[in-house]
Amino acid sequence: MINTLHLLNNVLPILYILTFGIYIYDFVKDNGKVHNVKRVFLFISLFLHILYLLIRTAEFNHPPITNKFEIFTVLAFCLAFSYFLIELFTDIRGTGAFIIFFSVIFQLISTIFIQDLHEVKEVLRNRLLGIHVISALGGYAGFTIAAVYGLLFFMLYKDIKLNKFGLIFKRLPSLEILEKLNFYAVLIGFILLTFSMLIGFIWLPEAFPNINYLDPKLISVGIVWLIFGIGILAKVMAKLYGKKVIVFSIVGYIIAILSMLVSNVFTQTFHSFY
Amino acid sequence: MTLIGISINHRTSPIELRESVHLSINEQQDFISILKDKVLEEGFIISTCNRTEIFGIPAKGNLKTDEIAEYLIKFKKVENLLPEHIETFTGEDALLHIGKVAAGIDSLITGDSQILSQCKESFRISVNEEFSNTITRKIFDIAVRIGKRSIKETLISQGAVTVSYAAIQVIEKIFASLEKKSALVIGAGETSELAAVHLMSRNIGNITITNRTAEKAGKLAKKVGGSTIDFAEFREYLHKFDVILSATSADKIIVQYDDIKKAISKRRGTPIFIMDIAIPRDIDSSVRKIDNVFYNDIDSLNVIVEQNLKKRKSEIPKVEKIINEEVGNFYNWYNTLGIIPTIKSLRSFFEEIERDELEKIKYKVTKEDYVKLEDMAKRLVGRILHNPTVKLRELAEKGDNLDKANQHTSVINYLFDLDKGNVNNNKNNGR
Repeated sequence: MINTLHLLNNVLPILYILTFGIYIYDFVKDNGKVHNVKRVFLFISLFLHILYLLIRTAEFNHPPITNKFEIFTVLAFCLAFSYFLIELFTDIRGTGAFIIFFSVIFQLISTIFIQDLHEVKEVLRNRLLGIHVISALGGYAGFTIAAVYGLLFFMLYKDIKLNKFGLIFKRLPSLEILEKLNFYAVLIGFILLTFSMLIGFIWLPEAFPNINYLDPKLISVGIVWLIFGIGILAKVMAKLYGKKVIVFSIVGYIIAILSMLVSNVFTQTFHSFY
Repeated sequence: MTLIGISINHRTSPIELRESVHLSINEQQDFISILKDKVLEEGFIISTCNRTEIFGIPAKGNLKTDEIAEYLIKFKKVENLLPEHIETFTGEDALLHIGKVAAGIDSLITGDSQILSQCKESFRISVNEEFSNTITRKIFDIAVRIGKRSIKETLISQGAVTVSYAAIQVIEKIFASLEKKSALVIGAGETSELAAVHLMSRNIGNITITNRTAEKAGKLAKKVGGSTIDFAEFREYLHKFDVILSATSADKIIVQYDDIKKAISKRRGTPIFIMDIAIPRDIDSSVRKIDNVFYNDIDSLNVIVEQNLKKRKSEIPKVEKIINEEVGNFYNWYNTLGIIPTIKSLRSFFEEIERDELEKIKYKVTKEDYVKLEDMAKRLVGRILHNPTVKLRELAEKGDNLDKANQHTSVINYLFDLDKGNVNNNKNNGR
């Protein structure tokens, strides 16, 4: 089984690069030749990726969340899988390259640095922790996808404003659709993050009797949750549209990433396992 | 095959001449009866605002294209149609030209997809007037297939090539669907009407017309199924519209920067698409600086039109390949025409022998045995004829072995006496 695991670890970045290449080719050429092939490639990549994650969990007897590089491979999967669902349900196929790009980066780093870890802290073997971390990653993947759609919105917005009718104008869906995709991604990300936080509230006091609710990581996640929550409320209640909403989601994403970095790298927290 | 034809088109003649030779449906019907009587055995006429084309198979061998032109000149009483205004075609060139017309690569606007339906209409008239026969019907099939394949297999008809359609293309990059959107059309002239019709064709939710002359606005609103708004007050309602289209003949700006600024703030960031196709312009172009306002004038929309036309032109080689393939298919079919009577005669000849021989033994064997013998005889004839039929067809379809195919058919005709249709001779000889 360990050989299969190593093989999959090496195959996955190649598959993601291939899928990314096909999506880019289709975006640039749009001649219909690989219109369906690209989805098949993405499906195969995702299938092998989930197989890899399951084998890894079974082989090392812990969910694949015990170090940064396991987190990266889960993140790569979450991003690609979320995009796959979006493409499947909306049939909007022109934006895949921009999201799969992130899966390529995360998987590549993971493949290079990941190690076989049989021995991990006992707390990391907990199933609730697995669900907590994976749903949090799903939440951040949602915010990442929202930010990508936000950037695409700005690119198209700028091109239309400047009457530049190039590749971006031709291939991307309408501003209204990009705005909707951005909002749905934020919504899904927010729901997953909320779920992760709820699991955390249930599990953390059991796992860490000395829990501190003023922990920097908890505060930073709380701020991110508040920003996106206010954004969603403002959008739904005030019926805001367009640039303002997009700016909100991108700023929210930047704050999410920065606060994550600060709380993980520069501060001491009980919530840090790696 | 001696397909011949003439074409008076946008490349050869100015618009006045094209108009003077244009044939309405009634005129086409009248002119077809003249052509049928005097010069052509079968054929068809394509007549649009940009071209009049007359093609057919001559009734007599030495017919020249000039004669067809002379009949047209007499029929339409045109005085200044000179030979340089007329393109003439014969044989394969004629077929290739028909293919180019059907595919839209000979049109004024490359890739014009309307021409295919105009061709179909012309073919329908020809059929109705009994002006078509085996060969022209096959040409219709080929032409329609060329048109359809060009649209399906190439990008020749893709992209907006008029300013109004280009505007729709931009609108569709802003809004996901037009069904719930509202449009305001300022002006009620020809340009406004055209744009309003385009918007309606894209299922815009509702359309409102405003014009200095309220009566004209009402007329256009009725035509496009929209409503009207008073010209003096329309600026107060700009925020209610997702699309604003202006094409008046006003000599100064009628919608100011502040009008749009107010409208967009009332819309809470929901975008407005503004299309100013008036010359001089109706809307202050500095509105393009306002967030969520997408302003386009004729110049900016022409950029899209030119890009799309360039792209369409780059597809011409692919379309020409399709035309060559289909013309090749036509000749494959055409070359088999001479062979088919021989194949039919040969088959009849053998089937007659089969029937005759079966008849002889019908009452000498049991019913069950007769059925078996009948079955065997059919299979025998089928197997004997299979190879000669296939080989003859192959020879003809390749087209480069026509002499050989003709030799073979002659030999078969001679050996089996098929020219005289004499199965009976064989019957007698067999006895």
